[in-house]
Amino acid sequence: MVAEKQSKFKWGMAVDIDACNGCQACVIACQSENNIPINTEDNFKDARGIEWIRVERYWEGEFPNVKAKFIPILCMHCDNAPCEPVCPVYASYHTVEGLNVQIYNRCVGTRYCANGCPYLVRFFNYWEPEWPESFQNHLNPDVTVRSRGIMEKCSMCIQRIRRGTRDAKKDKREVVDGDISPACVQACPTDALVFGNQKDPESRINKMKNDKRAYTLLDHLKTNNNVWYLAKVDPDIEAHHGDKHHGEGNHKEDSH
Amino acid sequence: MQQRRILSEKQINAELLNGNLATPKWYFPVMGVLGTGVIIGFITILYMFNRGLGVTGLARPVYWGLFITTFVFWVGISHAGIMISAILRLTQAEWRRPVTRAAELLTVFSLLTALFFPLMHAGRPWRIAYWLLPYDFARGIWPNVRSPLFWDPIAIGTYLTGSTLFLFVALIPDLAILRDRTTGIKKGIYTVLALGWRGNPRQWQLQVVAGILLSALMLPIFVSVHSIVSWDFAVTPAVEGWHSTIFAPYFVIGAVHSGVSAVVTMMCLMRWLWKWNNYIRPEHFDALARLLIVVATAWLGFTFLELIFSLYGRDAPEIALRELQIFTWPWNLIFITFLLTGYIIPVGCWLFKRCRNNIAIMFWTTILVNVGMWLERFLIIVPGLARKQVFVYTWEGYWPSPVEWIIMTWSFAWVSFLMLLFARFFPLVPLFEAKESQVFTTEMKVGRATVPMVIRE
Amino acid sequence: MEKVITRRILISEELNNQERFNAATSSLVSTTKEEMGGKFKIVFGIFAALSVMGILSLLIKIFQGFDDKSSWGYYSAIVSLLFGVFGTAPMVAIAPMIAKADWHRPIARIANMFTAAGLSSVIMIFPLIFALPPLVVGGYRRRSIWFDANIYTPHVFFGLAVVGLFLIGLGMLWVSSIPDLAAMRDHSTGRRQRFAKILSRGFVGTERQWISLRARIGMMSTFYFMFLIFVHILYSINFNLELVAGWKDAIYPMYHAMTGIQSGIATVMIAVYLIRKYYKLEDVIRIDQIWGLAKLMFAATIFWFYFFICAFMIFWYGKSEINVMTIKILVNGPYMWVFIGAFLLSFIVPWWIIIWNPVRKNPPMLVLVATITLIGCILDRIRLFVISWQVYGEDTIHLRYIPAEDIPDNMIMPTLLDGTLFVGFISLGIFMFLLMSRLLPIVSIWETHQSILLTKHIKFHRTEVYAVGKPD
Repeated sequence: MVAEKQSKFKWGMAVDIDACNGCQACVIACQSENNIPINTEDNFKDARGIEWIRVERYWEGEFPNVKAKFIPILCMHCDNAPCEPVCPVYASYHTVEGLNVQIYNRCVGTRYCANGCPYLVRFFNYWEPEWPESFQNHLNPDVTVRSRGIMEKCSMCIQRIRRGTRDAKKDKREVVDGDISPACVQACPTDALVFGNQKDPESRINKMKNDKRAYTLLDHLKTNNNVWYLAKVDPDIEAHHGDKHHGEGNHKEDSH
Repeated sequence: MQQRRILSEKQINAELLNGNLATPKWYFPVMGVLGTGVIIGFITILYMFNRGLGVTGLARPVYWGLFITTFVFWVGISHAGIMISAILRLTQAEWRRPVTRAAELLTVFSLLTALFFPLMHAGRPWRIAYWLLPYDFARGIWPNVRSPLFWDPIAIGTYLTGSTLFLFVALIPDLAILRDRTTGIKKGIYTVLALGWRGNPRQWQLQVVAGILLSALMLPIFVSVHSIVSWDFAVTPAVEGWHSTIFAPYFVIGAVHSGVSAVVTMMCLMRWLWKWNNYIRPEHFDALARLLIVVATAWLGFTFLELIFSLYGRDAPEIALRELQIFTWPWNLIFITFLLTGYIIPVGCWLFKRCRNNIAIMFWTTILVNVGMWLERFLIIVPGLARKQVFVYTWEGYWPSPVEWIIMTWSFAWVSFLMLLFARFFPLVPLFEAKESQVFTTEMKVGRATVPMVIRE
Repeated sequence: MEKVITRRILISEELNNQERFNAATSSLVSTTKEEMGGKFKIVFGIFAALSVMGILSLLIKIFQGFDDKSSWGYYSAIVSLLFGVFGTAPMVAIAPMIAKADWHRPIARIANMFTAAGLSSVIMIFPLIFALPPLVVGGYRRRSIWFDANIYTPHVFFGLAVVGLFLIGLGMLWVSSIPDLAAMRDHSTGRRQRFAKILSRGFVGTERQWISLRARIGMMSTFYFMFLIFVHILYSINFNLELVAGWKDAIYPMYHAMTGIQSGIATVMIAVYLIRKYYKLEDVIRIDQIWGLAKLMFAATIFWFYFFICAFMIFWYGKSEINVMTIKILVNGPYMWVFIGAFLLSFIVPWWIIIWNPVRKNPPMLVLVATITLIGCILDRIRLFVISWQVYGEDTIHLRYIPAEDIPDNMIMPTLLDGTLFVGFISLGIFMFLLMSRLLPIVSIWETHQSILLTKHIKFHRTEVYAVGKPD
């Protein structure tokens, strides 16, 4: 905590569900940025697909009055992460900049962290990753290719964060909002995903997380998430309930 | 209750060493079968190391499966030893005597086997040796002492060390007897192991004090081992059905249930294989079955408390989990089998004295108990993970792959193999305890009846 | 003086069994026949007066009404304590009997007599049942182990359970004293004989009567044991756990029962010590019995810690809002000092004293330990119950957890009425116990006979040892 106060940064993300149209661009961007092995049909059938960010889709109502709701789920980078204390080798680790990261080199693959995670955003490499021959030169040189037997997870594109801060330092200026954006944020066509430094009072993320629509998932677990969601503005519900739903962590559970 | 048999010391020596001084006829065929199983198992394990955990049936979100179930199962079985030899020693139960060694042995070997599973089930087991065993002082990175997976090896390691010591201390007088009855290289080995035992009063006193001290010291470890294993699960608030305060005592009492049952199974086998009818008598089965009724009932009580409190919260995900665990195919079949085999059939039998004194019935009912207890662990671990919960989005059934089944079967062959190997070289029933019980029991006439008596210091 | 001499005879080696039998019978029957001593009368009178005071305070409490739930915290803590000290005391007789231990025989009756003292909890429970909120509060159904049952189910069932426990206890006491009543019938005169004649139901000691008696004692005891655990579970859940929104603690009923047993053992310990001194029964209640009790108490102390840490560990590690709230209510909230006191006096201090074997054989030290443990138990009940009734609110009970701002900052202090209730109903229990001690022999005659029959000193090589018979 002391170290966290010393750092200038505390990264966070805000997701405007109202803007999300479920296009999956973020998923693909993440996939190619972070050298995630290709999720083939078989992988999904085995339930072993790896998606650092996924778009969950919920149907509401009966045909023909049916509505699709989308919610992108990625690692919440909890300040009070349940995955961190359970790792016997400290492979799951909290950086001074408020990120929850995985040290691939230390990981022994107990998968305990994955059991601890309420959002299931940690993934295990069951096989050695393989790419088609033509993909060999497409891998991102900034990101490790994870071998089999270890956990991996969203790092908020830490390689981009590093590059952004380094560039700013080289140019002898402060990091400004918008300098850094993870692959998913960059790819989002509707600007539903916003990334930024929470310690910068002028940042967009700070404004969004103080919005009256903002909430964090599974509030009652008190994991102190660093990813905020902005509730969907649904005219039908608004008409009935007014502002009742806002700010409640278990808002989404009802739509299951 | 106790049909006392008066046996001379000579007869005790001859009968109890019958498997050590000569090889029984059935020994090599049985060892051959078990050995084949062990070899197949090790080959499968190496194959899994070579290919990776993809060969198992594990997936997201069921990250822990058969291996962890079997790990918990073997740790549970290991609670037999201390329950029988330490607790019953401290409470001065006379009927513990013939089974103490077998129970301690089961403890040691099942713990050794249990240790395999968390190692195997890690993604990169070789890294465990690299990061955990030599502490990484050089870079100032310590293992994470907050992790229950770090407490596990410490608790199990302590328990293993203590049990081995306990076993050894009780073995010394018998080793001296073997030393005096063998020749050649065997005699040399027994001589070293017997530590110069002559059986003088001072040595006996030390041996007894060591035994009592070790039992008292082992008791807290006994409780802590399975509590810590249960905390592997219970500290995780994210998994429905795991985050329960009752887990530690629930696991401990379940472990005692399965461990003592395993000892009874073993007693039946010892009686059949080595014909030790004079030492392992129906009265011992009777006493153990009575103990088991109490333990099993307490365990069932804990089971129901756990169930009631999972529903008590009225949380939708928790109720969904119980629906999966109890009412959804194929879990409902497992659940019913678990209840029938873990409690209803065995305890129903044990209520009758005729069953308690029938070796065959005791054998099969205790086997059933362990089937039930294995299923119980499976029912706790897997449905909790295969949960249908908010934001999980993926919920999957899990079916173990052949590789996992083979490795689980291997563990049974491996424990039996080790036990039989031990039985070839060391007596399974402690000779000195058998002799002590001859001295410490006597009879008295009360009216027309003859009542067995126990001598207390 | 003569009394002492006859009791010495019990262990004399010169007499044969028949003579020792007779000595035991006449001396133990005489404990009920002897004229009440002056001291005894005074004690009896004091406790009777205090009991009346307790019942008067109860009436005042009822007239004060049931609306202010937080004022019932101390009341329910007292009831819980009564279940512990009086309800669980017979366990000291039952548990060793089930384990076939031989040391419990001389103190089994003392432990069993506490079932009569259960009257105090029966009287106290009914007003509390009226104070218990229904299952549907403020339009919401609150969390409960009764799920969707009728809203007054817990009230009805708990009333039945408590009365049932009391009756089963009395039945157990009666069944286990039938042979003694028969002995009293044969060795006394007048009103006492008539009383014994009715209750002994024609017991003359044929083999069949003994077999059926043993079976009945075994069944009654097991039944009492199960029922007791059941009552503890119901009480701890309905009157404690369910009042705190979000407190989900599956081990808690067992913890409640365990601490009850701990306080029961402590009570029996003190009672045994006083009776042994007052009736000069040093030769009947030997150091073996005291030692056995001390070992049980040692085990109970450790269990206190184990069950506590099982719950605490999970809450502390879980760190979710529910867990943090629960720890705040139970441990480090307004009742932190009460908790620390309970922790010290129920676990650390008695554990550390009683861990030494010489202490376990030293009766006055054990009484000290028992007293400390009882104080610890009282504090423990306060930290658990008072806050539960304090945080109960009609608008928060159905929430997932109690919001942090609703957890009180200050503890409720006991009122004078709580004090008089406490003293009064403990006294009522003791009064009932003393009354029983006038009706039945304080040490069971037939069990003393049994131990005369089944134990003997025999020569064993160069020393003398003590041998115990173990019939089926």
